[in-house]
Amino acid sequence: MSGSLRLTRRPLSFSAAGRALLGPDLGGVVLFAGRVRAERSGSGRVSALEYEVHLGPALAVMHRLDREARARYGVERTVLWHRVGRVPAGEISVIAGAAAGHRAPAFAAARFLIDELKRTVPIWKTERARPARRPRRPPRPAAARSPD
Amino acid sequence: MPRPVRVLLFATARTAVGKSELAWNVPPAGIPASALAEELARAYPKLAPTLRVSRLVRNGHPIERPNLRVRPGDEFAIHPPYGGG
Repeated sequence: MSGSLRLTRRPLSFSAAGRALLGPDLGGVVLFAGRVRAERSGSGRVSALEYEVHLGPALAVMHRLDREARARYGVERTVLWHRVGRVPAGEISVIAGAAAGHRAPAFAAARFLIDELKRTVPIWKTERARPARRPRRPPRPAAARSPD
Repeated sequence: MPRPVRVLLFATARTAVGKSELAWNVPPAGIPASALAEELARAYPKLAPTLRVSRLVRNGHPIERPNLRVRPGDEFAIHPPYGGG
């Protein structure tokens, strides 16, 4: 059975990814989600990340990672999903997960999938920032106003 | 008339050139990947720093040998360091 691999412009569902890892004999399920942080950027704050991908090579590498995770750790199900295009702050950009009979291989495989995805899959991100709000100017004192 | 090489540019490479794709003419027998990268760096000097840290990809496969020939009609991609997640 192959893993669930996706590169999509649609929002990613953590619960849908969890369902893809269910199985009666799968006692260890590990699911990692990465979300876009609204961290400071220059004088503003990140409002979104824009992800671009080289589609064919990206899918080929994701298939290889899936095969490698199964061969190395003996996990039975895997999930490796990544969004492309604009992802607003707070939304999930990536999900990596694995399920096995016990927790140790599931943890190791999920860690392997997310680390190797970041290192080897041709995906790039660009920050989109919202400028910081200017503080409202205090009203001028009455004495300083020019006479009518 | 031989078809040009389709050069794909991503992330900082795209920003340096101002386009996501170029059509680049090469001789019918092709040229080594390293020579094509040098031609691109000469034509777009802002691309040179990115090229130094990028992986080169021909027809979807990473180029392991710099003398691998890129021929008319090939796809040649410049992959700056990856940043998914």
